[in-house]
Amino acid sequence: MLGFINWIASLLIGLLALLLVTFAFTHIASIDPVIRIVGDKASQATYDAKRAELGLDKPLPQQFLVYAGQVLRGDLGTSWSTGQPVASDLVRVFPATFELATVAIIIGGTLGVGLGLLAGLWPGGWRDSLVRVISLLGYSVPIFWLGLLSLLLFYARLHWFGGPGRQDVAFEFTTERRTGMVLIDTWLSGDMGAFRDAISHIALPALVLAFYSLAGISRLTRTAVLEELGKEYVVTARAKGAGQFRIIFRHVLPNIRASVITVVALSYAVLLEGAVFTETVFAWPGIGRYLTISMFAADVPAILGGTLVIGVCFIILNTLTDLIVGGLDPRLKP
Amino acid sequence: MNLRALRTLATAGALVALTVGMLPAKAATPADVLVVAQSIDDAVSFDPAEGYELTPFHTFNNVYQRLVQTNPTDGSKLEGGLAESWEQAADGKSITFKLKDGAKFASGNPVRPEDVVYSFVRATKLGKTPVFILQELGWKPENIESLVSKVDDSHVKVGWAADIGSNFALAILTAPIASVVDEKEVASHATGDDFGNAWLKTNSAGSGQFSIKAYQPHEALVLAANPTSPAGAPKVKSVIFKNVADASARRLLIEQGDADIARDLGADQIASLAGKPGIVVEATPSAQQDYVIINSANKDVPALGNPAFWEASRYLVDYDGIANKLLKGQYIVHQTFLPEGFPGAISENPFTLDPAKAKAILEKAGLKDVKFKLTVSNQPPFTDIAQSLQASFAQGGVTLEIEPVVASELYGKLRARNYEAAALYWFPDYFDANSNAAAFAYGRGDEGPHTVAWRAGWNIPEISDQTHAAVVEQDPAKRAALYGEIQREVQKSSPLVFILQAKDQIVLRDNVKGYVQGINADQVFFGQVEKH
Repeated sequence: MLGFINWIASLLIGLLALLLVTFAFTHIASIDPVIRIVGDKASQATYDAKRAELGLDKPLPQQFLVYAGQVLRGDLGTSWSTGQPVASDLVRVFPATFELATVAIIIGGTLGVGLGLLAGLWPGGWRDSLVRVISLLGYSVPIFWLGLLSLLLFYARLHWFGGPGRQDVAFEFTTERRTGMVLIDTWLSGDMGAFRDAISHIALPALVLAFYSLAGISRLTRTAVLEELGKEYVVTARAKGAGQFRIIFRHVLPNIRASVITVVALSYAVLLEGAVFTETVFAWPGIGRYLTISMFAADVPAILGGTLVIGVCFIILNTLTDLIVGGLDPRLKP
Repeated sequence: MNLRALRTLATAGALVALTVGMLPAKAATPADVLVVAQSIDDAVSFDPAEGYELTPFHTFNNVYQRLVQTNPTDGSKLEGGLAESWEQAADGKSITFKLKDGAKFASGNPVRPEDVVYSFVRATKLGKTPVFILQELGWKPENIESLVSKVDDSHVKVGWAADIGSNFALAILTAPIASVVDEKEVASHATGDDFGNAWLKTNSAGSGQFSIKAYQPHEALVLAANPTSPAGAPKVKSVIFKNVADASARRLLIEQGDADIARDLGADQIASLAGKPGIVVEATPSAQQDYVIINSANKDVPALGNPAFWEASRYLVDYDGIANKLLKGQYIVHQTFLPEGFPGAISENPFTLDPAKAKAILEKAGLKDVKFKLTVSNQPPFTDIAQSLQASFAQGGVTLEIEPVVASELYGKLRARNYEAAALYWFPDYFDANSNAAAFAYGRGDEGPHTVAWRAGWNIPEISDQTHAAVVEQDPAKRAALYGEIQREVQKSSPLVFILQAKDQIVLRDNVKGYVQGINADQVFFGQVEKH
C-alpha cells in the first residue's frame, strides 16, 4: 500500500515538474499569442482586453499557479487557438494518434522482432545484410520524405491505398464517432465499405511509422539473439540434441523477451507522443499536429494539456512495462 | 536462396496481394459534394462578429447575408442582400433599409428588423477583433442602440455617429462583421453576456446558401445546403473543407480527383499541374499587397528618416524579377496602396530597378554606407523577397541584414515601432478605398490612431485631411479622383515601398463549374458551383 502511495506521489510530482518546465519553455518563445488571436489590425483596446481575458497581464508565477489550480480541479482550460475546451480537443485528437500508433507498433513490433531473429540466427549472411539495410534506411531516411514518397507511389500511382485523411469524403461524417478510432467506429457501424476505406487510409501512415520503429526493434533483437546464442546453456542444449526451433522458442526468446518488450514499449511511447511529420503529410488529425499548431500559436493551455497527456502516457507505459518485465523475470521486479 | 526461403517469400507476397486486393479502389468525390483541400488550421471562430482569419472569411459569404453585399462577379457593384431597397436620410447620417419579404434564416425563423438590430448591437458590444471596422461608423457599445433601430415590421434604420458619407457607410455594411444573425437562434444559446459567441464559434445562424453542419478543428468543416435561403438554393448539397496542411498532399489529392478544389499550392506545384488532364488552374486577382515599410522614427539608423533614402529605396527593388521570376506569376507588380480592382485604384508603376539612380540620390543626400535590418516573417514568400531585396539594395551600396521572425513577433515589433524596416503583406478589411487609405495615408503622430503610417513614423496632417475629405465625399467620381491624388502622393513621398499585388491561384477539377472568387478575401462563393 505504501509503495502505491509513493508511486502516486512521485507521479504527481513528476507531472507537476513536467508542467512547470513546459510552461517556462512556452514563455521563452517570442510568439505573441494575443496577436495570433486578435490579428495585427486590432485596436489596442481589443488587444489589451484579450490579453487580460487570457490572464497574460498577470505575473508568470501567478499564471502558473492559476493554471495548476485549474488542472487539479480537472479543468485543462480553453484552447486559445481552437476556442474549445482543451479536454475536448484532446479527447478528439488523442484517439487518432492512439489508433495510428497502435497499428504501427503491432506491425513494426512483429516485423522488427521477426527480422531481428532472422538476422541474429544467420549472422553475416544475406538475411543479416538485408535486415541491416532495412534498419539503416529506417534510421536514416527522413520520415517526411518517406511519407510523401509512399503517398506518391502507393496512393497516386498504384492506387493501392487511400490518400491523406482518415476516410474518403464519401464516408467521412457518415459514421457515428463513438471511440474516436475510425477502425473501431466503422466496424461498430456495420458499414464494411467504410471499414475497408478506413483500413486503406490508415495502412500507409501506419506502415511508414512501423518502418521507422522496426529499425530499432530489429537491431536490438538481433543483438540480444546473438548474445543469447553464444551463452553456455544454448551450447549445452545443442549438445543435448535440441533442434533450432526448440532452441529459439524454448530458450532464446524467453530470455530476451524482457529487453524486446522494453524496446517495443519505448517505441510505442515515442509513437504516442505524436508523429508530427507523418500526421502532417497524411493529414492525420492527431496529438502531434495539435501540439505543433498549438506551439506555433503559443497556445499555452493546449500545449500544457497535450504535454500532460503525453506525460501520463509515458508514465503508464513505463509502469506497465516494468510490471510485465518484472512478471517475466523476477530479478527485474520494480 | 534455398527453396524454403523462396516459399516464405511467395507466402508473404500472397498475403500482401490479398491485403491490397481487399482494399477499395480510390473513389472520386460524390457529384453533389464539393471538396476543398486547404489548411484550416488558422480558424479561430466562425462567428461573423469575431472570425478574422482566412478560413472563416471563405465561409461568411456562403453562410450569412448582409443588408447590402458586393456583386459576386463584379465586386465594385453594390446590391441588396437581405435589403430589398434603401433610402438615405436627408441629413446624410442614416439609411433606412426595407427588408426582403418572406426572407428566412436556415432555422426557418423569419428575418426581422429585430435581427438586424440585434446583430449590430451584438457585434459592437462583443468588441471582438473585427469591431474596428464598425467603429469607422462611430459605433460604440454606449451609442449603438440609439443608432440602429426598428422602424416597422419590414424597415430598419441604420445611423452613424462618425463624420462619413453614406456611400462609405454602405461599404462598411458589406463587411462580414455586418452579417445578420438569427436572434432567436443565437440568443437561445447565449451564456451569460456572451451573446451566443461560444456557440457561434463553431455553429451558424444565418440565411446564406449554406449552414455549418459540422466542424472539427484542424480536421474538417462541413457546410450543408440551405435550400430556403433568400439568395436561392445552392446547386451542391454540401461543401467540405478538408484540412490538408501539407501542400504536396493537397496537390496529390486534386490530381487524383479526391478533392475538387485545392488552395495555396506553391509556384512549382502549380506549374507542374498546369496542362494536366482534368485540372484547371485559375488565377484570380487578390487584394493582398506586399510592401516594405521603413521606420523613419528609428533613431538608431538616422538614414531611415531621410526622404532621400525612401526615394532611393524605390529604385532598389527588382520588381520584375520578384514578380515574374522568383514568384513565377503568383504576383503582379503594383506600386500603389490600392489594389487593382478596387474603386479608385490607379495602375501607375513608375519605378524600376535602377541602382545607378538610387546611388545618385543617396550621394546627393550625403548618405553613405547605409546599413539597416529588414524584419520579415520566416515564411515564404517573404524570405525569398527579402533575399532579392538584399541583393538589389547591395547594388545601390546599401547593406540590408535580414531578420526572419515568426509573424506574431513581426507584428508585435511593428505595433511597438521597434524595428528598422519590414517586408510584409496587407489585406483590405472591407471593399472600399478607405480601408487602405485610412491605414497608409492617415498619420497624425502619437495623438492620432496607430495606423500603418504611424508605424512608419510618418506624420502627415495634410494627406490625412485629404483622406478624411475622400471618406466624406458623396460623389463616387470625385471620391475616386481624390484617392488617385492621395495614392500618387504616397507613392512619391512616403517611407512605404509598394511592390506586389497577389494573384490567388486556385486549382480545380475540370468538372467543377460556377466557382466564383472576387478580389477581397471574403469574396468566395460556392452557391453556383455544380459538378458535371
